[in-house]
Amino acid sequence: MGLEEKVPEGILTTSLDSVINWGRANSTWPLLFGLACCAMEMIATGTARHDIARYGSELFRASPRQADLMIVSGRVSNKMAPVIKRIYDQMLAPKWVIAMGICASAGGPFNNYAIIQGVDKIIPVDVYVPGCPPRPESLLYAMDLLRAKQRRETVGAWRKVEEPLAVEEIVPLGV
Amino acid sequence: MPLDVAPVIRSYETQRTLNPPGIPALAPMPTGETDDTRRIIERFGKDIVAAGLHNGNQVVFVGPAQLKALATFLRDSAELNYETLIDVTSVDRSQLPLDGGVRFQTVYQFRSYSRNQHLTVIADCGTEPGGNGELPHIDSLTGVYRGAEWPEREVYDLMGIRFDGHPDLRRILMPKNWPNHPLQKQAPLGGEEVPFTFTWDDPEFETLGSQILPAESAAPDLPPGMSRQNMVINMGPHHPSTHGVLRLVVEMDGERIVSIDPDLGFLHSGFEKTGENKRYKDFVYYTDRMDYLSAMSNNLGYCLTIEHMLGLEIPERAQVIRVIMAEMQRIASHLFWLATHVLDVSGTGMSLLMYATRERERILDLFEMACGARLTVSYIRIGGVWQDLPDAFIAELKDFLRVMPEKINEYDALITEAPLWQERLTGIGFISAEDALAMGLTGPMLRGSGIDWDLRRDRPYSGYESYEFEVPTSDSGDCYGRFNIRMEEMRQSVRILEQAVGNLPSGLYKSNNRKVALPPRAELDVSMEALIHHFKLMTEGFHVSPGFFYHGIENSKGELGFFVYSDGSAKPYRLHVHGPSFNNLYAIDHISRGEMLSDVVTNIGSIDIVLGEVDR
Ligand code: SF4
Repeated sequence: MGLEEKVPEGILTTSLDSVINWGRANSTWPLLFGLACCAMEMIATGTARHDIARYGSELFRASPRQADLMIVSGRVSNKMAPVIKRIYDQMLAPKWVIAMGICASAGGPFNNYAIIQGVDKIIPVDVYVPGCPPRPESLLYAMDLLRAKQRRETVGAWRKVEEPLAVEEIVPLGV
Repeated sequence: MPLDVAPVIRSYETQRTLNPPGIPALAPMPTGETDDTRRIIERFGKDIVAAGLHNGNQVVFVGPAQLKALATFLRDSAELNYETLIDVTSVDRSQLPLDGGVRFQTVYQFRSYSRNQHLTVIADCGTEPGGNGELPHIDSLTGVYRGAEWPEREVYDLMGIRFDGHPDLRRILMPKNWPNHPLQKQAPLGGEEVPFTFTWDDPEFETLGSQILPAESAAPDLPPGMSRQNMVINMGPHHPSTHGVLRLVVEMDGERIVSIDPDLGFLHSGFEKTGENKRYKDFVYYTDRMDYLSAMSNNLGYCLTIEHMLGLEIPERAQVIRVIMAEMQRIASHLFWLATHVLDVSGTGMSLLMYATRERERILDLFEMACGARLTVSYIRIGGVWQDLPDAFIAELKDFLRVMPEKINEYDALITEAPLWQERLTGIGFISAEDALAMGLTGPMLRGSGIDWDLRRDRPYSGYESYEFEVPTSDSGDCYGRFNIRMEEMRQSVRILEQAVGNLPSGLYKSNNRKVALPPRAELDVSMEALIHHFKLMTEGFHVSPGFFYHGIENSKGELGFFVYSDGSAKPYRLHVHGPSFNNLYAIDHISRGEMLSDVVTNIGSIDIVLGEVDR
């Protein structure tokens, strides 16, 4: 004697988690944000042949407030690191991060003074994509993995994540 | 927390013990004379330390006191007429046997377009006591060649040489509170020890990430010369139209732009320092990652420089394959420029992005066929190319060449004559020929102002002299002129490709000199000798005799130059890259003044920058 028997035909029952996760996994909007060589492959993923629209992720948003996913596509320099941290903090939860390429994952060929050895030193990463640069197919596979992860999540978990305020004070220009 | 850029000094990176005695050595003095060096010596007499030819380039050594006078003479003398200063760089010679010579030298590349001459000037820097030790300094050339401003700031930032009389000597690439000048030889390479084995309670984890700069460094200053009376707008480094991580500080009076101060270095990756710690052959892979839209051209420029220093002959077939690759890369790069330019300016030009990337994907497929990679190819190696073209390649390329001209016409029909497009581009971003020369612009930025110059035609390399092609120019000096030039360049590249495919000779695809180029893989199975060569090259690399050389090639954005200083060992002592985007971007302030904010986006697209190359 479940609930199903009481409701008329054409109505589906589900848990809140799965319906929200279904929505989230099928419309993860990435942040329009490219760093280095890997960004070229990210753009290629967005164009006709590889067509990221199949994942519902073709809408690259320029504003962090509207984006769910940050694809760190390239090497992160010391000068850029605080900026990336700030952009990440400006994104609203739920939010996910893909470290695209070996540079974003671990520094890659640039083991030197200028480049941070992995973006996970400053922001949490959900999926790491190996390759230099990863092919568009690899990025799509990373999206698959991310969707699998998104489907396993519970809504409550994100509620508990305390939104960190921007770590550093936003200092107006020239003050 | 003080910044620690050097958690470790890696013994395996800095080992120089394999060197035979006599290394490191100073570069020899130039020999012989040319008309130009004779004229310079006539004028300056004993102030010229040495002059002549070195590695085929004209070189003049001058003392610090006469540098500015020499530069003025080079520009103003009717017989010399060096209109432009291509590049400024520097060498820290502290690890060379100096014998009392000065530690820092600055290196200038002058070019005369009208006379087709190139001249390298090397100046000793004076020192003044201060700081912790001696501070090198030298006269700034900004008063003579305006385009010296950014290159000199770069030298100051990375090498610590002060330029007297420079109008705005700030750091340009590194964050403003960076603790050292990274290219000085005593500054460590930095980075982290690669943890091959460890467990989670290894103390090494403590040091990981210690090189991250504290966040306060990101708080920007108001650039000098800007006034709070006007509105100051910050554009980037995260902005969809800046083609990467460029930050522009735009000062505006109402709708009009008063001035722009670009803030660079958000993608500074330390290529030059890394290059000094890699063997010659290992830097090829890094060149891919500088201007990642023209990886093939970068490979080519670097390999040609080293091959010239080695005096290496390249087989005919390899030369033609290189031309094929370089021209395909030019088309691919221009296609990407077209796609993003239209997208930026119109905001909705998504269709052209799709069309242009459709053709670009075909080129990337061809690259993949040849070398297995789409973007970071490393196909052109010192001595030739990595491996021979596969059988299906030529047929596929021919098919591409058959359809490409139609596609270019298709883009033309879509956009070139569109009234809105013309309105957005015509008269915008104007630069006169004199300004273009004074700023050291190259490539389409120079040709767009009516200077008829293309390194492929005027100083040919890789056998370009045997191809027939035209160099499009435009007298309009605006964005529309440069747009038309690039469209026409794609057509000319197709033309070159057709000739190259038609005359592809058979033979070797890389040099037979086993001391420099790896033996083909198949040989390793049958020949002990080949195995030894392979081992030697992989472990030690090859040595380049002491000397220095600058070589420029025409890539899709302008003159891509490499300056290499060798001390005789298997690693470059100093490696400098002259990226065309860096110099061309300098013009953004000049060409945008008085225009609208929306025109800045047009101008960025029209300059065609790649931040990987600007920031290096
Ligand atoms: S992983 Fe490779 S392709 Fe990607 S940013 Fe780093 S160097 Fe460039």
